Amino acid sequence: MSRIGVFVCHCGLNIAKTVRVSELAEFAATLPDVVVAKDYKFMCSTPGQEMIAHDIKAHRLDRVIVTACSPLMHEQTFRKVLAASGLNQYLLTIVNIREQVSWVTHDIDEGTAKAKALLNGAVRRARLLAPLTSRVIDVNSDVLVVGGGIAGIQAALELANTGKKVYLVEKNSTIGGHMAQFDKTFPTLDCSACILTPKMDSVLQHKNITLLTSCEVSEVKGFVGNFDITIRQKARYVDHTRCNACLACTEKCPGKAVSEWDEGLVKRKAIYIPFPQAVPQKPVIDRDACTFFKKGKCRLCEKVCEQKAIDFEQQDTFTTVKVGAVIVATGYDLMDTRALIQYGYGKYPGVYNALEVERLFNSAGPTGGKVTLRDGKEPQAIAILHCIGSRDKNNYEHCSRVCCMYSLKFAHLFKEKTSADVYQFYIDMRAAGKGYEEFYNRIIEEDVKFIRGKGARVAQSADEPDRLVVEAEDTITGKFIRLPVDMVVLSPAIIPRGDAKDIARLFNLSTDRYGFFMERHPKLAPLSTMSEGVFIAGVCQSPKDIPDTVAQANGAAAEALTIVVKDKMELEATTAMVNPASCCACQNCVRVCPYGAPFFNEAKGVSEINEALCKGCGLCASVCPPSAIIARHFTNDQVLAEMEGLLEF
Amino acid sequence: MSFEPKILGIACNWCTYTGADLAGTTRLQYPQNIRVVRVMCSSRINPSFIFRAFQLGADGVLVGGCHPGDCHYNTGNLYARRRLAVTKKILEFAGMEPGRFRVEWISASEGNRFAEVVREFTEQIRDLGPQTQFKISQ
Amino acid sequence: MAISFEQIEQNLKTEARKLLESGKVSLVLAYGRGYDENHPMPYVAKHPSDVDNIVFNEYCTANLARYLTRYPRRTKIAIAAKAADSRAVVQLIQEDKVCREDLVVLGIPVYGMKNFKTGEAIDSKTTGGLSNPVLYDILLGEEVHGQPVSSPYDVLAAYEAMDKEERWAFWQRELGRCIRCYACRKACPMCYCDPCFIDQNKPKWGEKSPESPGNLMYHLTRFHHLAGRCIDCGECSRACPVDIPLYLFHKKVAKDCEEMFGQAAGMSIGDKPVLVNFRVDDSDKILE
Repeated sequence: MSRIGVFVCHCGLNIAKTVRVSELAEFAATLPDVVVAKDYKFMCSTPGQEMIAHDIKAHRLDRVIVTACSPLMHEQTFRKVLAASGLNQYLLTIVNIREQVSWVTHDIDEGTAKAKALLNGAVRRARLLAPLTSRVIDVNSDVLVVGGGIAGIQAALELANTGKKVYLVEKNSTIGGHMAQFDKTFPTLDCSACILTPKMDSVLQHKNITLLTSCEVSEVKGFVGNFDITIRQKARYVDHTRCNACLACTEKCPGKAVSEWDEGLVKRKAIYIPFPQAVPQKPVIDRDACTFFKKGKCRLCEKVCEQKAIDFEQQDTFTTVKVGAVIVATGYDLMDTRALIQYGYGKYPGVYNALEVERLFNSAGPTGGKVTLRDGKEPQAIAILHCIGSRDKNNYEHCSRVCCMYSLKFAHLFKEKTSADVYQFYIDMRAAGKGYEEFYNRIIEEDVKFIRGKGARVAQSADEPDRLVVEAEDTITGKFIRLPVDMVVLSPAIIPRGDAKDIARLFNLSTDRYGFFMERHPKLAPLSTMSEGVFIAGVCQSPKDIPDTVAQANGAAAEALTIVVKDKMELEATTAMVNPASCCACQNCVRVCPYGAPFFNEAKGVSEINEALCKGCGLCASVCPPSAIIARHFTNDQVLAEMEGLLEF
Repeated sequence: MSFEPKILGIACNWCTYTGADLAGTTRLQYPQNIRVVRVMCSSRINPSFIFRAFQLGADGVLVGGCHPGDCHYNTGNLYARRRLAVTKKILEFAGMEPGRFRVEWISASEGNRFAEVVREFTEQIRDLGPQTQFKISQ
Repeated sequence: MAISFEQIEQNLKTEARKLLESGKVSLVLAYGRGYDENHPMPYVAKHPSDVDNIVFNEYCTANLARYLTRYPRRTKIAIAAKAADSRAVVQLIQEDKVCREDLVVLGIPVYGMKNFKTGEAIDSKTTGGLSNPVLYDILLGEEVHGQPVSSPYDVLAAYEAMDKEERWAFWQRELGRCIRCYACRKACPMCYCDPCFIDQNKPKWGEKSPESPGNLMYHLTRFHHLAGRCIDCGECSRACPVDIPLYLFHKKVAKDCEEMFGQAAGMSIGDKPVLVNFRVDDSDKILE
């Protein structure tokens, strides 16, 4: 037996105009377990709330039904009234007789009849409601940031500056990411290194940041507030606690390998630092290029190292860190344009991709900042081809977003550094960003030639074999163009990192059709993921420029902070639970849950639900054949009872 | 007395229930035969709820969820789509008129559509007449 | 090519003995003699000496996959499996109720099986149109080829052609006769819930007494629970003491699932059961 109080709101005339509210209250009094039923002008007003609070005490109510507007409006208001009166807030039921009754009919008889049916259902359901309490769990205050590009650096610094301890994991031997490869940034043309390297250094110096380079996340356990992350420290074969960065080893090393940092345009040593401003500025040995590892003798680096830092015996090591939240900022790759044979990348030496060109401009790059072709000559005519592989139904349908702007930047830099004619082959120019349109106009003024038409083919020139010909249709004149050039720059599709799938699997992230990580909601939760406590920032979510990446990184840091700033957190109360006595071990729940909350307890032979991950959708309850799963607040009993009440009259 | 059908609506909290609220906020008029049960997600709907609703005397059952791809829980309605399709096939092979059970995707912004679907469905059930097959007579 | 039941029995005995003697399995699910030879029963051989009790003839219709879930997980089991039975094994592997590596499937390619109650041939009704097991480790006879190919769904045509009132009347009549003995779920390899939803008291999904409303709730929900999982062995119907043709409804749901989701139950261990799976591009047409 429960003691139910029913409170019918008039909402001025909003409800009272098409529902006979006093009749409804009288009807309520006849329903089972209802001990008090009243109607009042404005139930959400202070006197209305006080009336409910008073009646809870006076009539020793253990269930409250407020028959008023939508629960989406005032459920929270009335829950507080219950809580303040010492009643569990989940013992409240709202009957929506405004949005779903009085406002959608003019007929007071119809309105009243429907309101009665809804109230009848609510009473049936209310009798079966159970008090619910949220579990409170401890929260680890540290944060893990995966990826040491500008997004990861920014997020790590923001968090560290609030006093939180951050683990920054980077798989390469230095942080910096793609931004460190750039020479200038659009549209301001400020020097990329000048704005990035101080930040990289801050990361190294920051007392709250543990920088983990040459590291990868190998296992993720736990859940929001309590992640256990296992990190693999790849063997560097150099003891960084001993190394004093004299770099004598890199001078003596005979081993050679292509420089990833310079996009393969030059070679580096087998023991190397990727670039002069690398952080940390300590070398690692590339096992595949090292003469000792390949042939069993050499060890020149070891001989010259006064610090005795070289350690050929070093092995991968694993450490586990505990964190409360995670930010994934793993960045991007460029599409491998060798697959698009019509552009001749990898075949003709005069065809470059965008990142290679970034390196050509850079004074620390392979040519010392001079724009020269692979044969050392300066190009006389340069074509920049937009949308290679992107905005392309046969490859990647998405727009890579930054190519228009960096292509303009390239044009400017080519003009500055060479006397070449520069041609842009574009589908259409996308310059939506602060100062971008202005930058576009400025480049037009700089005598750069714009041809509206996607580059269709790059071929060797028949007349001059050391030159190239770009073929395209100029869609403004409708004419087919064959333009002889010396250098072709491809702006390839920006795609997720090759190992993004592994990251997605580790952190239980969804990916879109291209492999970019999916946000929880495209508009309202763009940095959250379906994994509670795991946030995303930067290009791993979708292509974007540096300002947007930095803004996202700051946002993700703030999101992570909302979790780790508290030392306890309250979990959703309306979660699902398994009645082990009925569980048939079919594991349907484990198969369907979008959040990975149910898991199979092999020892007990039943499924269990991790309430920290459960969002209370109830999917598992409906796929559970023996009804062993109880979706709290929406139990089978409660729903069936409500249906019974609704359909009785 | 003319036949007034009893229609059970089961609506997901995030899309269809909110859409139904919007129909009210914009004062759209629709027949009062529908009584809506709110659940958090269309995937919460156990097929037995539908069978039971007809036994309890519902003349029609309308399920509303988020559009595929817009589920608040990401994939809930994609499971619901399959499960409710099977429910419908079972009802039909048992001999029920196919028109008595309907699933619609109605978003939180589609108050108009909610009112329209309810109007249309109510008319359809009115034409089909009382559901007597499943109904347990008192 | 005729089926030699004696040969299959001999092979079954030989393999069972080898497996038990080598300790590779701790039991062999097979058939043994019932009260006469037309009524063989499921038989569990646990020792090499039990093997002599094994029989196989055209009345060995029972789907032994039913017993796989009754032993503790990780028990090493050998099972004699005809075509439909092997699909049940596959389906149970998909559902992670048994592990592939714990099983030795003794495949029986066969046709011409008979209902032990009526003596009628069951091939065209409840074998899923298959004669050869879809999964086996050891085949106890030669693969069957050249049998007339029939769709497992052909028998549905007459019922699909009924108008809805007629079909309603048919099922009212059939399901109305149900005495709620639950032999159907006892015989079903896929019905491994304990308790069954219908035995629950909270919630009470339907009446437990053998009357129409409760019968309808039990059977319709059971059809749903088996949707995309029923492998068309027909055991539910043969087990039914009042001969309700439950297999017809299961077949219809199986057909619908195959049409809507492009996957039949128990055909490949890599599949995921269709109702705990989805495709983003599932068509809304399936709801029409």
